[in-house]
Amino acid sequence: MPTITINGVACEFTKGQMILQVAHANGLDIPSYCYHDGLTIVASCRICLGEAMAPNPRNEGKLEPYMGGKLFPTCQTAAVDGMVVNTDSTKAVANQKAVMEYLLINHPLDCPVCDQSGECLLQDYSFSYGRGASRFEEQKVKQPKKDVGPNILLYSDRCILCTRCVRFTREVTGTSELYVNGRGNKSEIDVFPGVALDNPLASNVIDLCPVGALLDKEFLFAQRVWFLRSTPSIDGITASGDNIWIEHNEGKVYRVKPRENLAINKWWITDEVRYGWKHVHAEHRLRSPMRRKHGALIEDDYKRAYEDTIAGLKKAVGGGKRLALLVSPNLTCEEAYALGTLAKLIDPQAVFGVGPVPFVGEDQTFPPGAAADDAKAFTVRAEKAPNARGVQRVLGAIGQMVLDADAFLARVKEPDIGAIVATGNYREDWATAEVLGAIDRAPGGGESRFVVLLDTHGTPLIDHADVVIPGATWTEKAGTFENAEKVLQAFEQAIPVIELAKTEGQIALDLIAEFHGTPGLADHRASVVIVDEQPGQVPQAVEVVAPRSRLFNAADIRTEMADRYPGLSAFATDVVLPSVDAEKVEGVEMVEL
Amino acid sequence: MGKTAYDGTPRHLLCKRIPTPPFGDWNDRHYVDYDEYVATGGYVALRKSLAQSPDAVTQEVKKAVVRGRGGAGFPAGVKWTFLPPVPEGKAPGDPGAERYLAVNADESEPGTFKDRLLMEFDPHQLLEGIAICCHACGLNKAYIFIRGEYYLQAERLERALAEAYEKGIFGEKCVQNSDANSGGGPRFRVDCYVHRGAGAYICGEETALLEAIEGKRGYPRIKPPFPAVEGLFGRPTVINNVETLCHLTLIMDEGAEAFMAQGVESTIGGPPSYGTKLMGMSGHVERPGCYEFELGIPLRLFVEEHCGGMRNGKAFKAAIPGGVSMGILGTDQYDAELDFDIGRKYDVLGLGTACPTVFDEDTDMVAVARNISRFYKHESCGQCTPCREGSGWLYQLLCRLTDGDARAKDLDLTLELAESMGSMPGTTICGLADGNNFAMRTIIQKFRSEFEAKLKPAFVTATVGAS
Repeated sequence: MPTITINGVACEFTKGQMILQVAHANGLDIPSYCYHDGLTIVASCRICLGEAMAPNPRNEGKLEPYMGGKLFPTCQTAAVDGMVVNTDSTKAVANQKAVMEYLLINHPLDCPVCDQSGECLLQDYSFSYGRGASRFEEQKVKQPKKDVGPNILLYSDRCILCTRCVRFTREVTGTSELYVNGRGNKSEIDVFPGVALDNPLASNVIDLCPVGALLDKEFLFAQRVWFLRSTPSIDGITASGDNIWIEHNEGKVYRVKPRENLAINKWWITDEVRYGWKHVHAEHRLRSPMRRKHGALIEDDYKRAYEDTIAGLKKAVGGGKRLALLVSPNLTCEEAYALGTLAKLIDPQAVFGVGPVPFVGEDQTFPPGAAADDAKAFTVRAEKAPNARGVQRVLGAIGQMVLDADAFLARVKEPDIGAIVATGNYREDWATAEVLGAIDRAPGGGESRFVVLLDTHGTPLIDHADVVIPGATWTEKAGTFENAEKVLQAFEQAIPVIELAKTEGQIALDLIAEFHGTPGLADHRASVVIVDEQPGQVPQAVEVVAPRSRLFNAADIRTEMADRYPGLSAFATDVVLPSVDAEKVEGVEMVEL
Repeated sequence: MGKTAYDGTPRHLLCKRIPTPPFGDWNDRHYVDYDEYVATGGYVALRKSLAQSPDAVTQEVKKAVVRGRGGAGFPAGVKWTFLPPVPEGKAPGDPGAERYLAVNADESEPGTFKDRLLMEFDPHQLLEGIAICCHACGLNKAYIFIRGEYYLQAERLERALAEAYEKGIFGEKCVQNSDANSGGGPRFRVDCYVHRGAGAYICGEETALLEAIEGKRGYPRIKPPFPAVEGLFGRPTVINNVETLCHLTLIMDEGAEAFMAQGVESTIGGPPSYGTKLMGMSGHVERPGCYEFELGIPLRLFVEEHCGGMRNGKAFKAAIPGGVSMGILGTDQYDAELDFDIGRKYDVLGLGTACPTVFDEDTDMVAVARNISRFYKHESCGQCTPCREGSGWLYQLLCRLTDGDARAKDLDLTLELAESMGSMPGTTICGLADGNNFAMRTIIQKFRSEFEAKLKPAFVTATVGAS
């Protein structure tokens, strides 16, 4: 394999890789502003310049100054076997300092009020590559703040004209809203008159911007970034399975950013995923269990809610009456498994269904006109639920038959259904007339049955339920989603579950424990009891910890699923876990705040 | 083979049909139409070229060492040989074998007005040169990128082009596609277009010019790939200056020797400077204007003998040899010979466009520097950081210097900025920053005392009377 030496470190590379790419792949830091893996190379910021010695084939391969010893852009120069590159030579360092000084002369240096502060390449590189003070005593060029789109503000004076955003709108979305206006130090990024930066991927320019020029209107002045913690997660809004970071502080989500995954979403996410988490903190989240008492729903504790649920289900099912379980496509695979197990425990012939999968329009491919299988294209999914395939897969392995939403809603209207367990967890009100007509305690005034609803948001459906238990959104739980490309991706819990709500998986495990007559986690007082001896054994007067409800642990559940059902073995082998690159900057100590 | 020094005999080759002193009166200049052009020996060179194979034409041009007249002085024949061959079994212009000629008529270097003359009065000479080049290199489309301010010139070019299309120089029945093409090259259609620029200096840079023709923002491209391999619309492209192409008519008509008989050999062992050169004189002389001389004419001779001496009898102080990017000739360099050796001999960047701007003794060199830096600040395309930010900073510093509001450290800073922006070879994509740096550095070096005289005195603590 060809080898190149960068700043004294020997790095292997594949032919065609640029020197900067080789350096980054080997964990070496070469500063760069305009370079981005997902965009064409313009080599205009000039901070990545380096010096090199390269073997001269015409001189027996002896090392000679590359390009006459002049500085050249490492982002745009392909690595050559045997080359020795230095971006820490006197000349290269002098250039880095000069570029940093140039970039800052017309920069307002308003870090204290800038949202980018803390994750700004100008700050980072000033620290690592810049010079301490500026010698600029003249007037700065002043440029306006611009409202360029529904979600984006452009602070032109902070812009360093790396043109990443311009290239993004030209190359990735193909919409070309942005352009460079003017010449020289009066150049500024702008939108064409009458055109807003408004496309389904537009807000990616905010992440692309290495400085605080392009800002998120929603995140504007909302939080200093050093207070934010990032949790690797998966898009819980659409079926695309985009990899994201959920950035949160003290139990509140502040923003969602794309997490690089070249196989799925590359470096981008849709604005829908970026801004689609608002329901997590919605006012109408369900926060406490409710049970029907004397015909009215009242808030109560988990103990009574669980007792009511199990008692009601046991009573309603049997004698030819079936249990129907509707699992929402917004739930994780592990939760589908737990709920399915619970349903089969109560009624081995339970009817399974997958909740309604919302579709909006059709799949959109960017840039427009690109083939869907084009490796560079980005597809915005019309399917607005993260896990329809995963739920289908799990329920299909556990039960005999899984009905789709329409079939399920038709099926539950039949008189042999004695009880319904329905899960919601939708971003929007999912209680359509069909749903309300089917999931009811006495549909059409007919025979009454027992309805349990696990949902996150209040909808008219709660009036149709006997017991309502509050669930959790995907940000509040760990689990696995199967995206439209049938890739299983696990994600972590970002924030604690809101108030008294629990994840649907935990609820299912608690109910299983309740069904077995062992106290659930809800009842902490009974966590240690004496259990009776096994039949055929000599009785022993020993105190043991009771088999009780356990904490819902997505990884354990995945193992159990794969062990119990051969059809689910993929959950032991094929789940893509979030890989977290622990970025460590030399000389900087990371402190938990 | 050639002369070693300028012999003082004026010869008019490019200006054959454009009356220029000492052979004619400026007032007699007029548009030379097709009929007049042919009657005075026009399109003979094209006929002779077509009777030869494209390779033979290229070799002849290479032999004549026609150094590019646009400023860099790169031999045109050598440039042509960088083109990849036309794909086997295809003629230029077939799908997958499109090849282009971009004619650089942007002429935006300050003080330069030589191509203007050729396009305004004798555009057919240029068109003939284009046709010869297209034959030699197998190029099927030529774009003449003319600067936007040249309105009359563009009109005249269009007029000549219409005549040329009518007479079958270009178009479906063009010479390369007819029996005239008997030299063994492929038959193909050649088209020629005039593309008017929008007035940016940077569009005269060859790759920015390609971008501009493609309808994009005039940002210079990163090289490699070089235009000869991947130029206009991603196809092999030759880029030549107007004057360079015009010289082809003489070379193909009378042979390389006739061209090489003009001009001088290098006296310092470099490549020779053959041929004549259009030289546009401007500045503080009695009779500024565009003249034609053999390369190698000393600046003093040019000014004193042909331009009527310095204006009002003042003394010579400095001169820009050809475009501000080339730096400046100092007071003691009045005798500099205007040939391609000038760069190495007189500490400037090069001959450039050979259109000198002369300053007399009354000129404030600090103001000259400020003026030049203002130009670069205004014309920097804004792509690379050092040039975009540095040129503005430099201008502001020089403003303070001219206002007498600067201290010694500011002068040092000016020099340091110029250095870090670009010192051949520079740190930017194109040569604009290098030009800026070179102009500033040579002016400050050669006239440092004038800059220092404008500085505010530094505060010094002096103890008087102490031991």
